[in-house]
Amino acid sequence: MKFLLYLILVLLLVPLQTTLLPHLSVWNIKPDLGLVAAALVGLFAAELEGLLVGLAIGWVLSLFSAGELWLSLLTNGGVGLLAGFLGRQVSQVTAISLGAGLLLVSLASGLLAAMSFKGFDGSQMWWMVQSIVFPQACFDGVMGAGFYWLLSRRFDLNRLRTE
Amino acid sequence: MWMAHSSSPYGARRVALVCFALLLVALFLFPGQIQGLLQYLGGPVGYAVSIPLEAIASIDAGIANRWGRYVVLQGVQEENQQLRKENEWLRGQHSQLRESAVATERLTALLHFKEQALPTMIAAQVIGRDATNRYRAIILNKGESDGIKPDMGVVTPAGVVGRVVKTTGASSVVLLVTDPNNAIAGLIQRTRDEGIVQGTQQGLAQLKYIPLLSTLRDGDRVVTSGLIGDFPRGLVIGTITSIDKQEGALFQSAELIPEVDVGRVEEVLVIQTSYGQSTKAGAGVDLIEKSAP
Repeated sequence: MKFLLYLILVLLLVPLQTTLLPHLSVWNIKPDLGLVAAALVGLFAAELEGLLVGLAIGWVLSLFSAGELWLSLLTNGGVGLLAGFLGRQVSQVTAISLGAGLLLVSLASGLLAAMSFKGFDGSQMWWMVQSIVFPQACFDGVMGAGFYWLLSRRFDLNRLRTE
Repeated sequence: MWMAHSSSPYGARRVALVCFALLLVALFLFPGQIQGLLQYLGGPVGYAVSIPLEAIASIDAGIANRWGRYVVLQGVQEENQQLRKENEWLRGQHSQLRESAVATERLTALLHFKEQALPTMIAAQVIGRDATNRYRAIILNKGESDGIKPDMGVVTPAGVVGRVVKTTGASSVVLLVTDPNNAIAGLIQRTRDEGIVQGTQQGLAQLKYIPLLSTLRDGDRVVTSGLIGDFPRGLVIGTITSIDKQEGALFQSAELIPEVDVGRVEEVLVIQTSYGQSTKAGAGVDLIEKSAP
């Protein structure tokens, strides 16, 4: 059952990210739903599932992007793993703390991506950071916090996490 | 926040860490092989993902279409679309004719030139945009099974759109001409000076490495040179809007406005074989046939 849910999540993320989200983009920036989903799965289902689902999301999304496969695998898998660890260590996760965490993680993965661009000089990298990486990190943080808040209105999330 | 009692089995945590470490090591030691393997496995996965993707893309297109037809101006919208298509086609034709005229003048002495075949093309629909914000790319509803391969050129009747960079069984990713990571060999139509067309961060394009003695000017058209890559000669890339000539520099460069509005493109043609190459029967359609509105 869980496997089926994850499969549906991975399959639906692609059309959401590539077809529907461009309509909701702000200044041509859209959030990375893959990163948000990997973090939430890691948070609720622990490290191993967070890692595996993150890797699957990263792999499938990278098939529909011009970007490098390794970067997508590492960032999404890493986020799932990290969220799993933090989810087990920190008992009270709030929407704001999750949003802030996602902002930092998205910022880190965006910086890694910016540094991996070949032939980019300092000014080009700075332009990318200020006009793509940072706004997207803010967007990811807001989306993560929003999803968590919506879920917390319906479910007892702290109980779900420790089960 | 305080520390929670961990209920995760210690073994699972260890397995997760080992898996991630192994992946890191494998990607570090065999980057090409691992990426090649995952890309190969992605072929069939692409089929599975393309089912919901195409379904949602067609719903999205249907809503956009209905909105355009019935909610906004019904008749005007249709007429406008038709005229726009016709205009695009005529612009493409006009550019090709100009290119032919220039070429004819230069090649009068070479009358025994081998007769060229038209390129074969595959028509495809745009079903999405790049999954990340870092690349300007579009996703097409045709892939490896339709004969599309990486590095094939993608055009509309108006001009160049980009280049295929990735394919799965049923879809392909096209890096747009406005992406800074894309480079296409270009030629100034009037002066015949060559350069490299590269995207800019602002979503435009620039022609780099133009010889210093070139007499280019604003409004000059830049077309594909046909020397490198899978684009035949003479396809319009854009129009020069400003020239950057710095003292002491070895080359000059120019900013272009791309001929195709890549942000709104909905249907494209993938160039399967270039001019002069052999074509498989029935594998594609020729330019004139497919591009007529």
